[in-house]
Amino acid sequence: MAEKLRILIVDDEMIVRESFLHWFKKDGHTVATAASGFEALEKIEKFPYEILFVDIKMPGMDGLELLKKIKAGYPDTIVIIITAYGSIESAVHAMKMGASDYLLKPFKPEQLSLVLEKIKQQKKLASEYNYMKECLEKITRFDDIIGQSEPMKKIFKLIPEVARSDASVLLTGETGTGKELIAKAIHAKSSRAHLPFIAINCGAVPDSLLESELFGHQKGAFTGATYLTRGFFEVVSGGTLFLDEIGEISAKMQIDLLRVLEEKQITRLGSREPIKVDFRLISATRRNLAAAIAGESFREDFFYRINVIHIPVPPLRAHKDDIPLLIDHFLNKYSQEMSKRVDRISVEAMQLLKQYHWPGNIRELENAIERAVVLSRSRTLRTSDFAFLKLALTPTSGSQALRDMEVSHILKVLDENDWNITRSSAVLGINRVTLHKKIKRLGLQKPSP
Amino acid sequence: MEDTQIMQQRKTTIGVFAFGDVPAIVLKVIAAHISGYLKIDAEIMPSVTHPYYALDRHRLQYDCGLILQTMNANRFDGYEKVIGVLTVDLFVPILTYVYGEARQGGKIALVSTYRMRNNPHSKSELSSRVYERTAKVALHEIGHLFNMLHCEDEKCLMHFSGNLSTLDKTPLYFCRYCTVYFRDALKRR
Repeated sequence: MAEKLRILIVDDEMIVRESFLHWFKKDGHTVATAASGFEALEKIEKFPYEILFVDIKMPGMDGLELLKKIKAGYPDTIVIIITAYGSIESAVHAMKMGASDYLLKPFKPEQLSLVLEKIKQQKKLASEYNYMKECLEKITRFDDIIGQSEPMKKIFKLIPEVARSDASVLLTGETGTGKELIAKAIHAKSSRAHLPFIAINCGAVPDSLLESELFGHQKGAFTGATYLTRGFFEVVSGGTLFLDEIGEISAKMQIDLLRVLEEKQITRLGSREPIKVDFRLISATRRNLAAAIAGESFREDFFYRINVIHIPVPPLRAHKDDIPLLIDHFLNKYSQEMSKRVDRISVEAMQLLKQYHWPGNIRELENAIERAVVLSRSRTLRTSDFAFLKLALTPTSGSQALRDMEVSHILKVLDENDWNITRSSAVLGINRVTLHKKIKRLGLQKPSP
Repeated sequence: MEDTQIMQQRKTTIGVFAFGDVPAIVLKVIAAHISGYLKIDAEIMPSVTHPYYALDRHRLQYDCGLILQTMNANRFDGYEKVIGVLTVDLFVPILTYVYGEARQGGKIALVSTYRMRNNPHSKSELSSRVYERTAKVALHEIGHLFNMLHCEDEKCLMHFSGNLSTLDKTPLYFCRYCTVYFRDALKRR
């Protein structure tokens, strides 16, 4: 379906306003008119119009003055200048002030369609750009999910089926199991694939900020709200919203989200105008929500809303058969990324990685490979490259104090690296000065040859 | 046919009339297209006087908005929708020209034969092509009268045509979605 826009026509001539109104209504857009710049400012404050068609010549406040005010208060709003005078100078001036385009009245029907098409493209790009800019660090990869084990095959079968429907999906599983990748795969296979995919980690954003991030806010809604900001619910426009760590949100936020899911409309902070929103919700959590419901920290009605389709994602230790495949994939990836030829792993190292219980799941495995590739000086990764994992495999007595564990671990690493401080500190993930200090403080000594 | 059944349940008639002197064949072709493609009865009505009042002396074109406003005073009893046919150049104030005009969900639509030739004064273009184009615009405007919006699908009668080459590529029938929408619009009356 074509995207429907919220358009405001500002012209002092009624016949022109009517003409625009009827024309855009035929395309199904939401259209309103204003006879003056003042009326336009009043209207835009009450309703979030996306595009303004502004006549340059108007009594009172002229088009250029209105453009200036709009760009100062609502920089995201697109303004198209209309002029009957054909004065290129004023049109150029308007473009310099931030107008997106101009139309010389009267225009051919195709011109109007072209302008609208251009605006739609521009809006899409701006929306994508803003999102990419803000979340660059959040965007990792859209790689295919990897796995040949039975539990993963089941999920692969489920993804296209789930993608076809628009129902809310809840992904549960431990941290690092690839919940976001599955959410992205569902999005990529759905009819919304060409629209944005926005991921928000609810646990990482304070509650008050989360509200403004999701719903957006009017100018002046709170101290520091100098601009009107569109929330993720609006920015996602038709795409998929992925709320990670949904179990962490407050009771109030649960009620607010429940209302959005039921009514499919939102109200920006500081505004009373409801705005229709369209998105598919995929949530994820590592918490046991059933227990949270029993403990009354999670609302049951909200749970049923987000849990229309439930996909449990298994921890890596439940599909260890996939470990060689995953290692191969990460080796390829990181050796390419770092332009370093590390493409093999020794049998012992593979055995070690298979034995490890991977509490941090696939993410931990990926980090382990990345770290090993960075530090490796040969083409093949060996057990010594995974020294940092070995400690977890070594059975330790329960009574061992933290200090003792630190001593034994640092000694082990130092021994493996021939007491080379630079290499050992890199393995330990601390800098050289800290390692020197620790050696001194813990009274460690290099064994005599 | 489901469409025919709907028609039988509630009789709908669309009136086709001329503004001033319009060749009778044009009205007949439009009426035939309405019955044939939309499966709605169409009747040719007596003509009305030429809309001199709507001539814009600067543009030397006729203002659709003024014509529709004036014609709205008539009740056109017995007809659910009516379509007026002209031979003059039509405009709405923001656009240089229009082939036809109708308000969303309104009762009256307009269509002009003026721009249905590549050159309005040419005699060489096939009349049958000019008639078909006029009928196509008429069906499109009737779509708007039944509250239908423009459609993105190029293979749909409701796709917007701003020039004759696009109009010629536009079919005389609706796409799958618009067909359903049109059927629903008829049921909802």
